[in-house]
Amino acid sequence: MATRQVKISQNYETIAWKWMRYSAILLIPLVFGHVLLQDVIVGVYEINADYVARRLGTWFFQAYDIALLGFAFAHGVNGLRQVLRDFIHNPKTFRLVSIALFIFWAAITAYGGIAIVMAVNAKLASL
Amino acid sequence: MSTLKNTLIGYVSYRGREGHYSFLLHRLTGLGTLLFLTIHIIDMAWFYWAPDLFEEALQLYRSWPYLIGEIALVFAVYFHGINGLRIAIVDMFAPNKWTIAAERNAVRWTLVGSLILWLPSAAIMLSHAISASNEAAQMLDKLGIF
Repeated sequence: MATRQVKISQNYETIAWKWMRYSAILLIPLVFGHVLLQDVIVGVYEINADYVARRLGTWFFQAYDIALLGFAFAHGVNGLRQVLRDFIHNPKTFRLVSIALFIFWAAITAYGGIAIVMAVNAKLASL
Repeated sequence: MSTLKNTLIGYVSYRGREGHYSFLLHRLTGLGTLLFLTIHIIDMAWFYWAPDLFEEALQLYRSWPYLIGEIALVFAVYFHGINGLRIAIVDMFAPNKWTIAAERNAVRWTLVGSLILWLPSAAIMLSHAISASNEAAQMLDKLGIF
């Protein structure tokens, strides 16, 4: 099959597209590991506040959870933006929706991220 | 509104068979996972922000309707991950495989791979739920299954 090389200029959208692709490759071990451990092996019946405190007390899981939060939620919200592209054809409206989604992403990420970091600080203070 | 209607009609009426079904399933599993992920980040953050609500959320997660949702979520994550990996690998390393025949074949293998991961996961999750539920355990005792 004949192939053709095309130069694509770097802009916000090409960076967002690359982020989707590279975060996806990283998310496969991160999310599959998380689902296998928390949903399948440990299970929701064994998870309680004590379990979460012990889990977040380790540097490994603190880093793991921050990576999950950072990559998975950004991938998800940008994915939603790409789906909405099929439905919103007006560039102005799409820009407004993009800004709204960015605020939504930043707020939820901060809410979760502060909880992970502060939970660890509370744990260290009690030692 | 006509954009919404036209796009949705296009989603349903396009006859692309395997490639089209995997596109639809990729979007549905992605959106479903994002919906859960948003709720999940908020309720797990309650561990710090609102410990009482955190306990309530955990109780809700242990209910039977949630279990069905959780088993569906695990399938969604497996399918979305494996299908995404298929698209990334073909895109980056084997663009000559973007033919209809090769794609149909790869889509079927993606589904088989997801099911191979999902079926044992679902069985284990169901067994956790049964052993955690007193009523179900007693019923199985009477039937002499365990």
